[in-house]
Amino acid sequence: MNPNKIMIIEDDPIIQTELKNLLIGNGYEVSVLSDFLNPVANIKKYNPHLIILDIKLPYINGFSICSEIRSFSDMPIIFVTSSDTDMDELNSIMLGGDAFITKPYHTAILLAKITSLLKRIYHTKQCMDYHWQGAVLHLENSSLEYNNQKAELTKNELKILSYLFKNAGKICTRTDIIDDLWDNQLYIDDNALSVNINRIRDKLKEIGLNHFIQTKHRQGYLI
Amino acid sequence: MNKKLYFKNLLPSFLLQILCMLLLSLFLLAVGNSFDSILFILFTWIGIDFIITSFACQKRKKELEKLLQLQEQLKEQYLIPELMKIPERADDQVFYFLLKTAEKSMLEQIDQIRRERMEYKEYIEQWIHEIKTPITAIKLLCENNRSPFTRDLLTELEKITRFTEQALYYARSEHTEKDYSIHEIRLFDIVHRAISDNKYLLIKNNVTIEITESDDLVFSDEKWVQFILNQIIINAIQYRTKQPKIHIYAKQQANQVCLFIKDNGIGISADDLPRVFEKGFTGKNGRIRQNATGIGLYLCKRLCNKLEIGLDLTSDTNGTVILLSFYINHFICQVQ
Repeated sequence: MNPNKIMIIEDDPIIQTELKNLLIGNGYEVSVLSDFLNPVANIKKYNPHLIILDIKLPYINGFSICSEIRSFSDMPIIFVTSSDTDMDELNSIMLGGDAFITKPYHTAILLAKITSLLKRIYHTKQCMDYHWQGAVLHLENSSLEYNNQKAELTKNELKILSYLFKNAGKICTRTDIIDDLWDNQLYIDDNALSVNINRIRDKLKEIGLNHFIQTKHRQGYLI
Repeated sequence: MNKKLYFKNLLPSFLLQILCMLLLSLFLLAVGNSFDSILFILFTWIGIDFIITSFACQKRKKELEKLLQLQEQLKEQYLIPELMKIPERADDQVFYFLLKTAEKSMLEQIDQIRRERMEYKEYIEQWIHEIKTPITAIKLLCENNRSPFTRDLLTELEKITRFTEQALYYARSEHTEKDYSIHEIRLFDIVHRAISDNKYLLIKNNVTIEITESDDLVFSDEKWVQFILNQIIINAIQYRTKQPKIHIYAKQQANQVCLFIKDNGIGISADDLPRVFEKGFTGKNGRIRQNATGIGLYLCKRLCNKLEIGLDLTSDTNGTVILLSFYINHFICQVQ
């Protein structure tokens, strides 16, 4: 499946680089616009699936770029800006932007918006399963399958396992897991994490999956 | 108007008249008029004088009292020359001119100060706007290079963001007319955002968050409400006990949606309770715990007043409960 292409139109060099790294790390193909004098030509050439557009840019205003894009394409545009005045938000909507995020943004929220926009506009069927060592994590119905046996998972358990599966083969620190859960509005603390991991292990044992989650002493968990 | 003083001022005129009466009497006597006719003239003179002077005094007193009342009702009392009739007496007119000139100079000063304040506020907004770019850059750098070191950086960055937000809303709370807009918003979406804004501080202090979620919709400005919730959450963290816990839940009551933010912290003492919304008030506990600026709750109260959100506090040694009340306006629903 071809990765979705995202184009970043932003003038700050650090944000350009880091945003690109963030998106690539989440499986997207990314291009950063460098020629602010001919933005539209470059956009047409790269033909991205989605654009992240800063309003305040050199030479040209983000809103005008948006209007120009809208003259030939319906691709989703996410406006990003430091200013949070309502005029900006209104303009974004009226000129055809699909979302409006203020800096500094929560990256989890930005990523979630990108995913939902892509799903909505391109009707891409998201891969709803993670596979690892014979186990299949079904996100849609919140369960883990192994050897044709299924274990039902709670919201917390599903999120923890998603994180472990996404980083399969790598050690995930407790703090990173807690961080990820908090980004998804699941506010667990350190103790709750241990409790949840143990519960997951019990459930996995019931379907014959032993020692799936390893504890790396003082470092974290690993699958 | 001081009646005693009024008559005291007329004393020279009275003395002059008495002198004239005396001279006239002597003259009339000299030309052969009887005592009776002289007395008659004098009594008539004094009588008329007395009546007219009393009337004049009453009239003058009434006029001036009216003016005084007029000024008392004015919020900007220096504008009184605008409401006065131009006086008829020559000397009064000079005083009127003095008042008018003073008023004009006052208005110019006020105007200038207002302009300067506006410019400063715009500068602050611009500054905050600009600072968000490096903050975002640092945030992205940290999130892309996760380590215990960057986690600490992100915690400090959260603090920086908090202070810049506070500065922004402080500037905005003074001139609010254009800075907020009312939409229908889902209350708990904002609750989650506020928690997310303080993620690192909450996790670092091992705060247990309990949310009893509901789908309540209210009409308000989401950014402002988010800021208010942020302040409340920060206070809850700052004045925590061991094993801190924050519980957020909502209740529908009559024509209001009430959002409760309950913590199990050290509470606010009964003496301090009536003063918590005062600007710069840090209270007993604020002086023991560091970093109390005294601005947080003051700003919240101001913003809530502007948005017509009820803000109430109850507290004891077991913790504090803060209540935000949103009125449900059925008319807006119908328009939409």
